[in-house]
Amino acid sequence: MDGRRTSHWWTFWGVLILAWAAFPLLWMVSLAFKSPATFRSSSGFWPKEWTWENFQTVFRDELFTSALRNSFGISIIATLLSVIIAMFAAYAIARLDFRGKKLLLSMALAIAMFPQAALVGPLFNMWRGLGIYDTWIGLIIPYLTFALPLSIWTMSAFFRQIPWEMEQAAQVDGATAWQAFRKVIVPLAAPGVFTTAILTFFFCWNEFLLAASLTSTNRARTVPAALSFFTGASQFESPVTAVMAASVVVTIPVVVLVLLFQRRIVAGLTSGAVKG
Amino acid sequence: MAEITMRNIVKRYGDGFPAVNDVSLDIADGEFMILVGPSGCGKSTLLRMIVGLEDITSGEMVIGGRKVNDLAPRDRNLAMVFQNYALYPHLSVFENIAFPLRLRKDMSDDEIKAKVQQAADTLELTEHLDRKPSNLSGGQRQRVAMGRAIVRDADAFLFDEPLSNLDAKLRGQMRTEILRMQRRLGITTVYVTHDQTEAMTLGDRVALLRKGELQQVASPRELYEQPANMFVAGFIGSPPMNFVPARMEGDTMHLPFVSFELPRDLRDAVGQREWVIVGIRPERFEDVALVDSSKLDTGVEFEGKVDVVEWLGNEQYAYMPFELPQMRAEGLEAVEDDLGGEAMQPQLVVALDPASRLDDGSTARIWFDPSRLHVFDVASGQNLSLEVAAPV
Repeated sequence: MDGRRTSHWWTFWGVLILAWAAFPLLWMVSLAFKSPATFRSSSGFWPKEWTWENFQTVFRDELFTSALRNSFGISIIATLLSVIIAMFAAYAIARLDFRGKKLLLSMALAIAMFPQAALVGPLFNMWRGLGIYDTWIGLIIPYLTFALPLSIWTMSAFFRQIPWEMEQAAQVDGATAWQAFRKVIVPLAAPGVFTTAILTFFFCWNEFLLAASLTSTNRARTVPAALSFFTGASQFESPVTAVMAASVVVTIPVVVLVLLFQRRIVAGLTSGAVKG
Repeated sequence: MAEITMRNIVKRYGDGFPAVNDVSLDIADGEFMILVGPSGCGKSTLLRMIVGLEDITSGEMVIGGRKVNDLAPRDRNLAMVFQNYALYPHLSVFENIAFPLRLRKDMSDDEIKAKVQQAADTLELTEHLDRKPSNLSGGQRQRVAMGRAIVRDADAFLFDEPLSNLDAKLRGQMRTEILRMQRRLGITTVYVTHDQTEAMTLGDRVALLRKGELQQVASPRELYEQPANMFVAGFIGSPPMNFVPARMEGDTMHLPFVSFELPRDLRDAVGQREWVIVGIRPERFEDVALVDSSKLDTGVEFEGKVDVVEWLGNEQYAYMPFELPQMRAEGLEAVEDDLGGEAMQPQLVVALDPASRLDDGSTARIWFDPSRLHVFDVASGQNLSLEVAAPV
């Protein structure tokens, strides 16, 4: 049977790719639960004795807890701002015809392509001059810059899918442009908004280069940057297992978000809007 | 409720193309007006200008005594049903119908509820109020769209090809429902369609458009009996009117298949023209064998070969080819194009009583009454017989 053979191949490749992708993650989890004193000598992939010691170590460390706080704060604020700004920009791009629309879109794309490493030096100097070096706002601003182009592109694609008649119907029904946007377009674009928000959040959450370069203390350092400064419980102990425990902790929100919203992202909310 | 008056309405797009050209139309209070025409004739554009979704290039749009040219759609108090219904997919049927009421902000929840219930009762939607539009059938969605329109006491209803997404059976049903609703509410209605059955059955009056220009505004009966020009004559009626080139010689009219003396008043209408186009509705022909003998003398008989016969039960169509004479006719091609190339085929479509015994390839004797002919000018397509048309 030709069809069955094809599906076997799919399964085979699927499992292979899954193993390939999951292996580092599982290794990380396994290390996080091994004892920091004996993890080098013990053999076997999984720990012989599961221990919470590493998690206790990282949560006792001010470096990590403040970094976690910074990460959440900065990522959430940057995501919210980016989504709100991108929503209006994308709506305008999808619905209105104005001069320079093409230029705007290609500029946005160009910014997304721009190598971040080239900006670190100038930003460092500027931020110190402006006095926002090592602050939340100092990270939120560049994050917005890099997250917005992608957000605008994704969302304008979503807005373009919504039939224009929805909005016209709302206007005939007595809605102002703002009411039509808020009561009809935004709810319909919700899957797009969620997708964009999650992508932006991941970007800010995982970002390392700027986070490491534009911060110097616990005031604004985020988790990815903080991990690199990690020393473990004492200087005589390898910090590897503690770093892994911290990595597990910061991976959890990502996994939870994906599990929570994947339905939302996929759901075609517009079905039934028009003849179908 | 309100009357709608259009004065010299023009819609010109950026490239200078006039989608609607100098249309003046009066729609009386409570009237059911149909805008009909082939695709691209500007009927939807005209409707969208009434509701305010399309800017008016020039001219005046007056609704209920108020000039609305520069008013936003929400300030015109009109209700519109879109071709694809444009229901809000994230809201329940109840909220869809309540949407325009909620926007007004001057109604309590109880009032809104009562109004929506009333509309739902009228449209038999009561048990579907909690469902989402995506779970409804096409006909139900159509009714929700109508519910959203009737709930808000609008000055007028506007329909943009509301039935074109439904299957044939449901379409007939909804057509009657729309008509019944309009009659009961007595509200001014403008209805756009390309379907001539809808146009003829629904409208108090029908406005026929072609290339953005108004061809004729009349009752369905008048449109059928006294078409203003060849385009109207060819568009209204199914199967379409036969157009046959005819040559005048004194008082005698020569058709490709028969010559006869033209009645006095029609002869006067033709005047000095040598060539004219004669229009005969398929249903004006009759099988000689079935014509009342007292009528026979008043009409013209001819014999012809039947190419194909289509028997439909309640009537039958016979197709009779004829030789097309050489004739110069400017402007004819344009009319031809608009009618889908059906107008000037060298064959007669004859609608006969189903009792007629005709077979493919047989010879038929056909009778018609020359006073029921339409005579059109070759160049302009104007109906020359209008003044002398037989009484309806």
